[in-house]
Amino acid sequence: MLELRGVAKTFNGGTPNEVRALRGVDLTLDDGSFLVVVGTNGSGKSTLLNAVAGAFSVDAGTIRLAGRDVTRWPEHRRAHLIGRVFQNPFSGTAPDMSIAENLQLAARRGHRRRLAWALRAGLRAALHERVRRLGMGLEDRLDNAIGSLSGGQRQALTLLMATWLKPALLLLDEHTAALDPKSADQVVRLSEEVIAHDRLTTLMVTHSMQQAVNLGDRLIMMHRGQILHDLRGAEKVRLRVDDLLARFEEVRRSEQLDESAAEMLRRAYV
Amino acid sequence: MRHVRELPGASLPRHHRGRIIHVRRGHRGRLLVHGVSPIVATVAGFAGGCVAGGATALLNTRFGINGLLAGILVMTALYSINLHVMGRSNLPLLAATTLATWAEAWGTGVAGSATVELVGRAVSVRDLSVLVGVLVIAGAAAVLLYVFLRTELGTALRAAGDNEQMTRALGVDVRNMVVLGLAVSNGLVAFAGALLAQYQGFADVQMGIGMMVWGLASVIIGEALVGTNQMGLVITGALMGSLVFRLLIAIALRAGLDPNDLKLITAIFVFAALTLPEVGGRLRRGRRA
Repeated sequence: MLELRGVAKTFNGGTPNEVRALRGVDLTLDDGSFLVVVGTNGSGKSTLLNAVAGAFSVDAGTIRLAGRDVTRWPEHRRAHLIGRVFQNPFSGTAPDMSIAENLQLAARRGHRRRLAWALRAGLRAALHERVRRLGMGLEDRLDNAIGSLSGGQRQALTLLMATWLKPALLLLDEHTAALDPKSADQVVRLSEEVIAHDRLTTLMVTHSMQQAVNLGDRLIMMHRGQILHDLRGAEKVRLRVDDLLARFEEVRRSEQLDESAAEMLRRAYV
Repeated sequence: MRHVRELPGASLPRHHRGRIIHVRRGHRGRLLVHGVSPIVATVAGFAGGCVAGGATALLNTRFGINGLLAGILVMTALYSINLHVMGRSNLPLLAATTLATWAEAWGTGVAGSATVELVGRAVSVRDLSVLVGVLVIAGAAAVLLYVFLRTELGTALRAAGDNEQMTRALGVDVRNMVVLGLAVSNGLVAFAGALLAQYQGFADVQMGIGMMVWGLASVIIGEALVGTNQMGLVITGALMGSLVFRLLIAIALRAGLDPNDLKLITAIFVFAALTLPEVGGRLRRGRRA
C-alpha cells in the first residue's frame, strides 16, 4: 500500500524560476489498485511519480510504502520495493550490455550484488523462458547488446525487468509516449497482462486519454501540484474520453478566467 | 557517468576509462629496499592504488567535486606522500630483490648464459625473462578482471557506468560503484607502476607524468585492433594496444625521432584518434547528402 500525506515540493525555491510542483498531496493507494494519473503539462504528475520513486527528497509530508516510512530513503534503497519503467526507452536499460545482463541486474533488484558468476545456467534458462513469453523473438538474441533493439522492444524488456521480482509498487512514467502506435499498443497489452497476473499495485502517468480511460481502476487528475479529481469504482468504469476532455476543458477555462480576472483587476487598480 | 567525459571510440567500462590517476610507486620501492618480499611489496603497491582511487571517488561522490578535479587533487597530494614514503625523489632498487631479479634468475637458469641468440641478435636474458614474466602477469590480471566484471558485482559496476539512472532504479548505490571502479582501476595502474619500477631498477616520483595520455593511446589502438565492444575482446585489445604502442615508439625512436618530441607526438596522436572518426563521419554524411 502506498500512502502520501501532505507531500510538497518546490523547485528553485526563492528564485524567479520558483516552481511549486507539489502543494500538499494526500493520496492512499490500496494494494492491487491500478491508478492512472493525468494532468496538463506542469501539473505535477511526473513530479508526484518521481517523489514516490525517490528521485529527490520532498520538502514536506511523508511517503509510506508497504508499511514502511520511506520518506528519507534514497532512491536505490526504495528500489527494493519499486519497479519502474521510464518514459524514455533509453533510460531503462544499459545499452552496451546484453539483454541477458540487463535482466540479470533486474533479477537482483534490491538485493546485495555478490561475487558470484552473474549469468548462471539456471538463470539463463529462466531468462529464455520469460523473454520468449514477450512474443518478440528476442529469446534467441539474449547476448545481443540492448542498444541494438527498437524502442518498443527495449520498453517491453524494461517492463519485464521492473516486474521480474514482484514489486510492492509498479511505476509507469508515460512509458509508451515515445513509441510508435503499434509498439505502444504492444507494450500496453504486456503491461495489462503482468499487472493483472501479478495483481501489482500500479501508479501510471499518461498523456494518452485513451489509456487513461481504458486502463486502471482509479484515475486522478492533477492540476497545479494538487489532486483536482479522484475517480474510482463505477465512476471510473463509466468514464469516456469525451468526459475526460470536458474536464480538461473545464480546467483550461477556469485558468483563462483567472487570468482575465487578474488582468481586469490590474487595469482597474494599477 | 555524468562527470566522466565520454571518449568516442573508447568502450572500456567507463570507470576504467575516464579518470586514471597516477599513484606513484613509492610505497613499493620503499618496501623492497627494506628487504620485504617483492610479492608483498607489489601487492602493497596495488593496495595503495586502490586507496588513492577510492579517495578520489569519495571526493567526487560524497563532496560533489568534479571528477577530473578530484583526480588532480589526489594526484597532487600523493606527490608529497610519495616523497615521504620514498624519502627522496629517486629510489634505486638495483640492490634489492625484485620480481625482475626472480625472472632473471629463472631465465638464466633456463638459458644457461646472460645473453641468447634470437633472430641473429644477441638478446639480454634479463629483458627476455622480464618480458615473459610481464606477459604472464598481465594475462593473469586480464583474466581476473574479466571474471570479476562478469560477477554480479562486476555487472552492477559496468551497469553504473552504462546507465546510472537505471542502475539506481534497480537498487544499486551508484556512488559505491564509483568508489569500487576507481579503486580497482587505480589499483591496476599502481600495480603496473610497481612492475615498471622493478623492471627499470628504480622508483621515481616523476615516473607517472604523461602516462595517462600514453594509456589512452594504447586503449585507442587496442580498440582499433579488436573493433568491438565485447568485454573480453576490449580487455585483450587494451593489452595488445599497449604492446603495439610501445613497439611503435621504440621503432620511431630507433628511426631517429627526437625523444623530446615523444609526448607531443603522442598527444597529437590521441587528438587525431579522438577527432578523426567524427570528422570522417561528417565527410561521409556530407557526401551522401
